[in-house]
Amino acid sequence: MYDGRAVGVGPRWLPVALTARRSEVWPRPKRGNVGVDSGLSLIAACYGVGMLSSLLARWSGRLAIGVGHLAALAGAAAGLGVSLVILLGGPGRTLTQPLPILFPFARLSLSVDGLSAYFLLVISLVAVAAAIYGPAYLRAHSPEAGRARQAAQVFALNMFLGCMTFLCCAGDALTFLLCWEGMTLSSYVLVVSDDRDGENARAGLLYMVMAHGGTALLLVAFLALTERGGAFDFAALRAAADHLDSTTRTTLFFLALGGFATKAGVVPLHVWLPRAHPAAPSHVSALMSGVMLKVAIYGILRFAFDLLAPVDGPLPPSWGWTVLVVGTISAVLGVLYALQQHDLKRLLAFHSVENIGIILIGVGLAMILWRQDGVSGALATVALTAALLHTVNHAAFKGLLFLGAGSVLCRTHIRNIEELGGLARRMPWTAGLFLLGAVAISALPPLNGFVSEWLTFQALLGGGSRVHGPAGLVIVFSAAMLALTGGLAAACFAKAFGVTFLGRPRTAQAEHATEAPPSMIAGMVWLALLCVALGVAPGYAIRLLDAPTAMLLHGPAASAVVTARGPLVLSAALTPSGTDATAISMTMMAALLIALTAMAWILRHGLRRSPARAAPTWTCGMSPTTRFDYTATAFAKPLRLVFAALYHPRREVTRETAGTPYVVQRIHYAGEIVDLAETQIYHRVEREISALSRTIRARSTGRIYGYIGFVLGTLIVALLLIGVIYR
Amino acid sequence: MSAETVHTIIDDLGALLLFTMILIVAAGQIYRAIYAVAAQSLFIAVAGAVLATATGNVDLWVIAGITLIVKAMVLPWVLHHVVQRMNIRREVEPVIPVGATLALAVLIVVVSFQLSASLGSVRQAITGNALPVGIALTLTGVLAMATQKTALTQMVGLFASENGIFFTAMSVTQGMPLIIEIGVILDVILAALVMAIMVLRVRSTVDADIADLDRLRG
Repeated sequence: MYDGRAVGVGPRWLPVALTARRSEVWPRPKRGNVGVDSGLSLIAACYGVGMLSSLLARWSGRLAIGVGHLAALAGAAAGLGVSLVILLGGPGRTLTQPLPILFPFARLSLSVDGLSAYFLLVISLVAVAAAIYGPAYLRAHSPEAGRARQAAQVFALNMFLGCMTFLCCAGDALTFLLCWEGMTLSSYVLVVSDDRDGENARAGLLYMVMAHGGTALLLVAFLALTERGGAFDFAALRAAADHLDSTTRTTLFFLALGGFATKAGVVPLHVWLPRAHPAAPSHVSALMSGVMLKVAIYGILRFAFDLLAPVDGPLPPSWGWTVLVVGTISAVLGVLYALQQHDLKRLLAFHSVENIGIILIGVGLAMILWRQDGVSGALATVALTAALLHTVNHAAFKGLLFLGAGSVLCRTHIRNIEELGGLARRMPWTAGLFLLGAVAISALPPLNGFVSEWLTFQALLGGGSRVHGPAGLVIVFSAAMLALTGGLAAACFAKAFGVTFLGRPRTAQAEHATEAPPSMIAGMVWLALLCVALGVAPGYAIRLLDAPTAMLLHGPAASAVVTARGPLVLSAALTPSGTDATAISMTMMAALLIALTAMAWILRHGLRRSPARAAPTWTCGMSPTTRFDYTATAFAKPLRLVFAALYHPRREVTRETAGTPYVVQRIHYAGEIVDLAETQIYHRVEREISALSRTIRARSTGRIYGYIGFVLGTLIVALLLIGVIYR
Repeated sequence: MSAETVHTIIDDLGALLLFTMILIVAAGQIYRAIYAVAAQSLFIAVAGAVLATATGNVDLWVIAGITLIVKAMVLPWVLHHVVQRMNIRREVEPVIPVGATLALAVLIVVVSFQLSASLGSVRQAITGNALPVGIALTLTGVLAMATQKTALTQMVGLFASENGIFFTAMSVTQGMPLIIEIGVILDVILAALVMAIMVLRVRSTVDADIADLDRLRG
């Protein structure tokens, strides 16, 4: 076993590579720790088998899809096992495993600590659902898919899951960046694989460009650290960061934040997200929205609290405030734009922007309050707990919602909710599960979304009362915005659920829809159970958060500040004296809700003397048609008016009359809203670049020797400059 | 071999290299330029062999051998082949008069020596003249590319420039890692293949020279 010391980059790399002994090239796991060690190898093997199973598509695409998803399921189960062992293994439990030497200049390793294990858990939980759901979805949604496409999808899915898993387990910068890139590339393949139309290709291209812009920022941040540390492993990066002056430290943090925020879809870097996520197959959308964005959160946490954190003393104030403000803006704008979407999957994608914002509010608050003395330190733990809890909660309910949307999509092939309707009778399971997810994402008790948003509130309100001056007001404002976000999300899902599943079907496809196959329902049920469990008994989840919070904050663990007595009572210890004022029992609340519902039902049905009569709805003497339904556009209209300044709504109404204006035969309505970030930033930049390139094109001669001449001139000038400098 | 002998040999080879470079820049016929670049590669191979005996670095022998085979024989043969296939005698179209090009080349050599003096002596270099000669060769190679309109002569310029980089690397560092040298050689071979195919294809399909592609600009 080598001691984890990486080899520096330099001219001496060659002998190292050539003299490395065989045992170093293929390291053996440590004795006594074999179980978990082989767990990591098992995950790698499962996803590897999954990738290889794409070769089976040569004989049968169906077989490839089945084996590939089975392997992914096994990999996810192994991931669950490894993460639980680490998370429950007591504080400071870390697993390190060197990897085979792939590059002569760096030694790769995996290192699973509390934070890694927690994100590994989140990834694996959703991956289980996606792997169960996937095969039936691919068969039902695109039965005409060719074998090459099926092979590509199986390969990319397993690569995607494997890269995300090992990204969170990376023990050095190179493994991290390789997995990051692999994650981007494989998800790109999945985005463009679903339908062969131009929109998917454009979405994929935008995604690719934005993701690589972000990767470039990350690369700079990482290479600046590895160059100073002389090695790639995180221990060397930490040591290098200790010697940074505050300006460099902050610059590096903002570079990393920019890179991760692009991936996380933070406003205004979110433009790719509502295009790319809906384009992928639905179980991949669930993974991208539920999990891939969280990987970026992992990166932010890793950089802020671990790699770049000063040895002692709080983080620079600019870090936390930026994250908090950006998170607040993302949360509000995300849900506002989601409200005006009529494409079901696009609407869900915008909600991911919102939820990432909520998570970042918690992260930012934790960064602000970290290592402040007294209660504020404990508040930092509450804030981080809230953020991490919302991470898994969002993964569960957003995964569930995307899978539900996928069921609707594969049975109707319609994404526009205006053309759906009446699906609750035709797809009862899907409707029920989608409703459950909608309740959870709207932060309504007793489901999981409420728990983490409630904890975020506790942290915000506590923080607002402890940070003095205008800064405290910002925190309280952020709390107010969070409340607004919750309300708007509820409105949005009232619209999404009501228009999609209630009323009467508005198209033939919706009318003839049937329930999704059982394996797809099973995938959704798994996530729904998670939502309920995390909502009704959050105490157990808080215990899993002990390892990451204690490891990141070097302070009290999550269960020390968030009192969670088993499944029953949940409260945030804001004051040293008492906690009961803010205590809440999710289990009791659930029981109460069930009891109240039962009572209302009994009052309505049990005590009624006269039998119920079925009668048609009175519609002013006309026969009811589907056009009487409340449309999504109409439902969102009041909010469109209130927030007109943000939306810049454009509407176009054309009437077809029969000669006289009093007889209208047909009215055509078209409306759209604009994304402020898109028009104000991206379109402007696009225009500038186009103008610049036109100017350059007008000046260019097209003569090769001319260009070479330019190169020669530049070379000579550069050399002369160097000569002057070194003189 | 004593150190002085090595110094003298390398300095003399440097002078020969510069001389062949002048021949390339001033060549009025494409064949002459090809022979000159072949001779230049031969001198590079000799320099590699001399350095190998002087330093005892086995890698340098390998590099000298590869240079001899690839750069002094195979690549000139490829160029020769392309010229014959295209059936032209005189494919040299200078952008500026040859006299002016030669004056620029002289200027570049002077600047290189001047620059090298300001950088100070390189500790590992075999002789004090190795670095400026190498820089001058590289830059003059680029000059040869910049002052010719046709693709074939630009290829010759590229090989000459590559030779300069090779000479610098060899004599200043006393042998770079083998894998890097092999990588550089592979680069040149690929470039030669791509360019040869391009030249022949463009000629055979659209009956135009590479130089005519400037009409394609937007």
